Amino acid sequence: MRRTTLKYILLFLAQAILWNFFPFSQHLTLVFLPAMLLCLPQERGTIRMMLTAFLTGLALDFIVSGQLGLTSFALVPVALLRRPVISLVFGSEIFARGEELSFERQGWQKFVPAILLLTAVFLVLFIWVDNAGTRPFWFCALKFVLSLLASSALSVLVALVMLNESGERWK
Amino acid sequence: MPRGQKPVSFLAGAAIFILLEVAALGMLHASSTLQNIWLNRASHRTMALLWGGSETIRSHFQLERLNQELQAENAALQERLRAYERLEADQEELARMAAREAAGYRYTPATVVKMSRNLTHNYIILNKGSEDGIRPQSGIISDRGVVGIVEAVDRHYSYGLTLMNPQMSVGARVGRTEIVAPLSWDGRTSGVAVVRNIPPHFNIEPGDTVRTSGYSSIFPPDLPIGVTGGTRLVDGSTRQVDVHLFQDFSTVRYVTVVENLERSEMMALEAAGEGRP
Repeated sequence: MRRTTLKYILLFLAQAILWNFFPFSQHLTLVFLPAMLLCLPQERGTIRMMLTAFLTGLALDFIVSGQLGLTSFALVPVALLRRPVISLVFGSEIFARGEELSFERQGWQKFVPAILLLTAVFLVLFIWVDNAGTRPFWFCALKFVLSLLASSALSVLVALVMLNESGERWK
Repeated sequence: MPRGQKPVSFLAGAAIFILLEVAALGMLHASSTLQNIWLNRASHRTMALLWGGSETIRSHFQLERLNQELQAENAALQERLRAYERLEADQEELARMAAREAAGYRYTPATVVKMSRNLTHNYIILNKGSEDGIRPQSGIISDRGVVGIVEAVDRHYSYGLTLMNPQMSVGARVGRTEIVAPLSWDGRTSGVAVVRNIPPHFNIEPGDTVRTSGYSSIFPPDLPIGVTGGTRLVDGSTRQVDVHLFQDFSTVRYVTVVENLERSEMMALEAAGEGRP
């Protein structure tokens, strides 16, 4: 089993533990699943990435929330938009050269906006469907902003962990 | 479609994305009551938007047919309404007749069979005769006022003089002065009669109502006849007042024959009084 896959599984378990044992606030959803998807190897195409996102979300819903489909619904669009976001933030030549993402080469200045974009996509869908029209807009907006800031900060750390090996390889 | 991506790959990606999202929503729908309700509501809203819009468009193209149906329905309803109004008017008329009969008059509805309007001595023929209880010297009235007097009666028809006949005279009570004087047609103008022999010191204002006096044995009191017009002195000794009749003789079709049930008694008393030295 490749180390990236092992890291992905361990971080998935960490996400499950975080959601299950640390429900900080009604106004906060801490999530780093988009960052995990962002840091998966580029060789995986969009379709494979969407299937991975779907199964990850489904497994997480199964063992944590019980609302089967909620995380999958929010995570599949992240997988769909992963490639366009990488092209937008890191440049499309990364695909042409077959490079992997690296903190050392691309720098955190590029990772932060990419993580922000993908996390925002996830949170918008997640909060929207989770609230199901039962809470006012301002509550959802506040929850989105707080969750985006906290999750993005956490996601940068997760990306560091995920890309540690590949970064060393490019040195 | 992103640059450099094959159309088949793009379509497959889009199809799988839609499939996965639908599957996720399907599972969410089945597993959570709150999301189930929310999704159902969203589905109903979407259906209402889609089919409601198409229904509006469809009904727009059916407007002409709907208008025709509405017009036909409207006509049928109006016909029914008129029937009810006629029935109601008949019942009201019957109730009025019963009340008047109790006051000493009998009222018999009749239809005008023939009526002259352009002669000097105009007449009227009604479809009710002696078999219907019509007697000579009965009044002919309508809802607009006095029409004439029955002169002769056959078994099924009656012949009468209209107010547009100089031979006919009606006792009239004029306006607020309550002066009583004979009213008859002026012989010239359709719809205008004159009240004669009013003492000159009575001041008659134009627009006053003229009614039957009730002094005759033919018409009950206070039946409307018309409104006063201009006045003039005749020979310096009497005043003559024009009266614009309420009754339009060109449109009259349904009338009521009014008979004073105590007329014979009154006539006998009058004859007895005249016979006294």
